[in-house]
Amino acid sequence: MDIAYVSELAVNGALTGLLYSLFALGLVLIYKSSSVPNLAQGALTMLAAYVVLALSRQLGFPLWLAIAVTTIIMFLAGFGVEKVTLRRMAGRPIVMILMMTLGLDIFIRGSTLAVWGGTSRSMELGVSYDPLFLGPLLLSRINLAGACVAIALFVAFLLFFRTRRGIRLRAISDDYVASWSIGISVEHGVALSWGMASVVAVASAVIWGEIQGVDQSLSQLLLKGLTVAVLGGLDSIVGAILAGIVLGVIENVGSSYLDLVVGGGSRDLIVAAVLIFTVMLRPHGLFGRHDIERV
Amino acid sequence: MLIGKVTKGLAVAAALSAAGWTDALAQEGTLKFGLCFDLSKSYTFVSPQVAQAAQDLAALTNIKGGIEGHKVEIVVQDHGNEPQRGIECYERLKRDGVFVFDMLSTPVSIAVLPRIMKDKNILMQSSVGRGDAVDGSVFTQIFPVGATYWGQAANDIAYIKQQRSGDLKGAKIGFIYLDYPFGQEPIGVLKTLAEREGFELKLYPVPLPGSDQTSAWTQVRRDRPDFMISWLLAGGHVVAAKEMKRNGYQIEKYISVNWLNEVDIANIGPDVAKGIKRGTNVVGGQDVPIIKEIMAELYAKGKGSGPEKNLKDVYYNLGLANYSVAFQAARNAVKQAGWPVTAASMKVGYESLKDFDANGLLAPVTVTAQDHGGGGKTRIEMWDGQKWVPQTGWLADYQDLIWQIVKTSSSGFKAE
Repeated sequence: MDIAYVSELAVNGALTGLLYSLFALGLVLIYKSSSVPNLAQGALTMLAAYVVLALSRQLGFPLWLAIAVTTIIMFLAGFGVEKVTLRRMAGRPIVMILMMTLGLDIFIRGSTLAVWGGTSRSMELGVSYDPLFLGPLLLSRINLAGACVAIALFVAFLLFFRTRRGIRLRAISDDYVASWSIGISVEHGVALSWGMASVVAVASAVIWGEIQGVDQSLSQLLLKGLTVAVLGGLDSIVGAILAGIVLGVIENVGSSYLDLVVGGGSRDLIVAAVLIFTVMLRPHGLFGRHDIERV
Repeated sequence: MLIGKVTKGLAVAAALSAAGWTDALAQEGTLKFGLCFDLSKSYTFVSPQVAQAAQDLAALTNIKGGIEGHKVEIVVQDHGNEPQRGIECYERLKRDGVFVFDMLSTPVSIAVLPRIMKDKNILMQSSVGRGDAVDGSVFTQIFPVGATYWGQAANDIAYIKQQRSGDLKGAKIGFIYLDYPFGQEPIGVLKTLAEREGFELKLYPVPLPGSDQTSAWTQVRRDRPDFMISWLLAGGHVVAAKEMKRNGYQIEKYISVNWLNEVDIANIGPDVAKGIKRGTNVVGGQDVPIIKEIMAELYAKGKGSGPEKNLKDVYYNLGLANYSVAFQAARNAVKQAGWPVTAASMKVGYESLKDFDANGLLAPVTVTAQDHGGGGKTRIEMWDGQKWVPQTGWLADYQDLIWQIVKTSSSGFKAE
């Protein structure tokens, strides 16, 4: 076994995995407050990327300003989506709320396609693609930069959940009926988590848009993000970070060897296997809360 | 916005239809082409340009007196890349008198193929669908004029052989591909050619949608292939370009499948993309007589069918090429069997095409009753930073091998 080769695959896999975690963070934020896996998170990410490009290319904003304005727009959009569509679903079966997020996903994908078409666009952050060696390991600058952004956001959210407002959100997550009874505005808390998840979608959109271009395929990040969120435990931010790294490493190293044996296609199989085995063996994930309910 | 323009065009067509305009034309004698396209899902990177090209060519043809004095009409509908909707579109347009169809989608073309064969209508199938449909003796009603992916990959190998002074022994050729049927299709022919020519073939599968190529290019950096043949799509080329730079692999050694357009070049960066190559059966750029004529007669007078910027996209050229061939087949049909054109006379018209290149727009095609692909010629073009520059003449190499694969595959259809 070539140690340098495996190490490079593992390190680059971990960096890519952190980018999956960044995406998964949006899912975790919403799940923490409302116990709903948001199937529209991929579409929200794609929408954010298109809005950044529309502001910078069509309205001539500098890219940094376009990102900042998009962050505000997406926060308000996330807030609004919760208020308009999901709030009225309160008390309905969880599967109906899930279907609502699926409907939102289809709606956003269809709308972006109608407005911006299907051709791919570039984000052009100005990141260099010149080789970057760490000893014998060749690293990706954009993945490295993205991983730094991901870690910074994780730390910010971990700190946020220690603030007064954050503690309220945690209370909602623990028991929204009890939260209501002591005067916490559950509706406001859930809407806030949608807003924050939409802000995370902007960060994810900018990084992934730079890596793979901006088109409909950005919404497909949902599968990887969902796998990371489930593996980490749907309500655990720390879990999302570690699960992303684990999935990225397994996927990158595993597929490099498995592809030679099975003739390709093993990357998606690995992701699917991780998802299936997690649900079968540890449904609450690596770090998720394991509630025991009396039936 | 592209979708919006196409939709607007459809709305206008519907309004005109309601006003009885199309009925009037039908009485005069109109040849209709049914374009059941994916205007809303997977193929939207190419379908608006091809639809626009077909409409522009029809408009220009009608201005110049039509096809042997008869108007031509393009009917565009959306099937969203869903086979069932494609079949519905086919049946609907068939009732409206359409007998020449274009689905521009592999799954939809495959789905409607049995009906087209049974109804003895005509299916234009360039660049999509079953590769073995070039076998006219089996697929009598299907016309995939242009190269199959097998032929295109073989022609890429022929080009590399030219670069190595006619000897591929000891060469290392990489094949990076989207790991689903589109990308996997050339693997068989490449393996056979590797045995025949004595080169080493390295395979680098990339999962859909092609955004995650890190480990593939890490392996490429270790293997150092002499050339890389690429069966990626759209954004996949952009990611590949970044990975090539990161891994220190020369972009000049990258030969793409025909699905690499000017949008991809802009996304890679026109300077960064300098030296990248693609196989193609149509000429890239606007320095083509028919495009100049369309610009002068339509766009300069505000009569274009869509955004003018689409004319700078090779997929527009592809659409023009496909419909130039179809219109020429219709002309042949009128000359040989008179008006009205029928599916039977259209088939004969197609099979009478000889060295047709639409005045320098595409590789010369000669369609026969046996070869519905027209000869399978492609050439290699290189992006020089501003435009595409041909690197070879029109090639159609290893035809014995290609037809062996075609016959093996088509015999399976015959047996079904």
